[in-house]
Amino acid sequence: MKKKVLPFFASLKLTISLLIIIAVVSILGTVIPQQYDGGESFSHLSPGLVKAFESLQLFDMYHSVWFVILMGLLSLNLIVCSLNRFPTSWRLFRKIPSLDRGKPFENLPPDRVLAIEREPNEVIRGVENLLRRRYKGVRKKDTANTTFFYAQKGAYSHFGVYIIHASILIIIAGVIIGSLLGFEAFVNLPEGESTNTVHLGRQNRVKELDFTVRCDRFSIAYYDNGMPKEYRSDLSFLKNKEVMFQGPLLVNHPIIINGIRFYQASYGSIPGGQAYITIKKGNEEGTTIMVKQKDKFYLKEKDAKVTIERIEENLMSMGPSVLINIQSPEGNIRLWVFKYIERIKEGIPGLFKKVPKFNPGLFRPYYFKLNKIESRYYTGLQLSHDPGVSIVAIGSFFIIIGFIITFFASHKRFWVKVDEHEGRSRISVGASSNRDPVGLEREIEYLVRHFKKGIE
Amino acid sequence: MIINTTILSWVTFIYLGSAIFYLFRMVTGREFWGPFASSSALAGLVAQTFALILRWIESYKMGIGHAPLSNLYESLIFFAWAIVLLYLIMEWRIKSRNLGVFVIPFAFLSMAYASLEDGVIQPLIPALQSNWLTSHVITCFFGYAAFTIACGLGFMYLLKGLEKGESSRPFLRFMPDREILDELSYHSVVIGFIFLTLGIITGSVWAYSAWGSYWSWDPKETWSFITWLIYAAMLHSRFVRGWRGKRMAIMSIIGFASVLFTYFGVNYLPGLHSYF
Repeated sequence: MKKKVLPFFASLKLTISLLIIIAVVSILGTVIPQQYDGGESFSHLSPGLVKAFESLQLFDMYHSVWFVILMGLLSLNLIVCSLNRFPTSWRLFRKIPSLDRGKPFENLPPDRVLAIEREPNEVIRGVENLLRRRYKGVRKKDTANTTFFYAQKGAYSHFGVYIIHASILIIIAGVIIGSLLGFEAFVNLPEGESTNTVHLGRQNRVKELDFTVRCDRFSIAYYDNGMPKEYRSDLSFLKNKEVMFQGPLLVNHPIIINGIRFYQASYGSIPGGQAYITIKKGNEEGTTIMVKQKDKFYLKEKDAKVTIERIEENLMSMGPSVLINIQSPEGNIRLWVFKYIERIKEGIPGLFKKVPKFNPGLFRPYYFKLNKIESRYYTGLQLSHDPGVSIVAIGSFFIIIGFIITFFASHKRFWVKVDEHEGRSRISVGASSNRDPVGLEREIEYLVRHFKKGIE
Repeated sequence: MIINTTILSWVTFIYLGSAIFYLFRMVTGREFWGPFASSSALAGLVAQTFALILRWIESYKMGIGHAPLSNLYESLIFFAWAIVLLYLIMEWRIKSRNLGVFVIPFAFLSMAYASLEDGVIQPLIPALQSNWLTSHVITCFFGYAAFTIACGLGFMYLLKGLEKGESSRPFLRFMPDREILDELSYHSVVIGFIFLTLGIITGSVWAYSAWGSYWSWDPKETWSFITWLIYAAMLHSRFVRGWRGKRMAIMSIIGFASVLFTYFGVNYLPGLHSYF
């Protein structure tokens, strides 16, 4: 059993299959709406399909059991593969090959063999000096009439791939720690209100904080062209009714309180702000009153009772509007009172004929005008506490180090032989490398050039 | 009309000209066209760099200063810039003009697509007001550009496979040997992979400071992950199993399709990443 299981997990076929399977199934989650997107787009799916998707956990795919299993398999495969191959790399890193091997000097191109008109001892010293200056741990071996040197560089490059794999495992560990010990939550907080309960992300539960957060004000600033420039919540954090911290929360600038990070995530306006309405008769000045939803007032002349039914920030893209209900002996009238009625009227000719309840003068002799609405905002706060983040960051840092070592470093090995040939000293340079043949060539050129220069 | 967008629209045509010169060179089999092709690509790159700097300065004059990397228009321009820069470095390193005909057209297409967008400098919305914007966009698009070159090389590899003996047309004869194409494509993928990883990391850091989570499986994030997996599979099959040639060429094309989807396709899916 063991003999069959281990090779299965150590196989690269499994790695490649898993990478491709995970890539393909990941596509599903980008096509099927995910629960935490708000889930408003489930409606076009048939009930049967929704049921099938639900049982496969496709609406929260990236946290589903089977997706986690796939990732687990990949991690296991990665661990087994690495452990399996590591001893070989370790040997390659440690092993110093014999210095007087013949193979490195077989079929050397002529430019790697130098003939020099100097005493062999002088040449040997020159070669040794240069090698020792350039490389660490140069080996030397003297035989009867030949001296051998061995030098190497970049032996650590055998470990690059393990650094990458270890980094990936570190990142996965960080993710697991974060999901076990951390939390994500959100809360919508109206201006002027405070809370210590927040809603936990995907679990539909609430969490109590050991402090209270209050939204003092929410504001939006705009650029000249109408694009939003700044979303800002002025927050106060309180403990035992004392303010611990007070400050503005901006997008991209979270506030950290007791290890919990607060983010400016969204905002909205709360129905039931205040509206300023002017009521006039004929050409007189009229009076302006401030009203809230469900407020009532009385129009004496017509014995009419007016109720504010709704206050809308932006009714059907026509701007602020207030719905009033007028009850009088003549009957019941509902009127939408707009702020920009002149502009709307210009846009739709014959508007009051088509939609009498948009006519601000419908209830004669009174005329209603909406001056402005003062809306009340709520700020949408995102909270997160993730003790795994620093671990993920460490993994991310080392993965880049691992890439650089794996892709750009190479283990270059050099064998240099000094002997006498036809009455002259002769230097032969043999070399090998696990990758990067171009870099090896450049290094050999350097050695040959400096052997010549240094000795002559 | 603002001067930087005028220059940029000229650059589009310079790249088109360069692509045509590279094509002439391959079809006629005469090196005569080569210097025209290279120098026009270089001229385009210089002009484009100048325009990008101007645009950057201009945004500061408008009081909304930011690097020209903030929307689809600017990212397309930068994409083309990165492609031409990487390509010219490669041409200079390998001392061969044979790859241009499969690379420069991508730069032209990116510029042409950008010209359909509005080139007005826009201020940054709150989510984009981050120091990570610049490093995230630069790393991602260098990655995309390297993958684009790898894909061009993949196409060349497959076309080169059609060559039959000495009698073939100059177009195919002018292409480098398949081993060289394979090697170059591999190097491009390595560069792309490192930049993509950096892009994902910088994006995560940014997401952590903007949205409260370094990874939220938003479609753009997921697709960058998918792209990453495809190239990871490709590198493993080459490194450990020694796959070469045709299979790698096909994978570099599939990988590029995934890059394109990460860049453009994701906009048709719901998600947070709707700025680009």
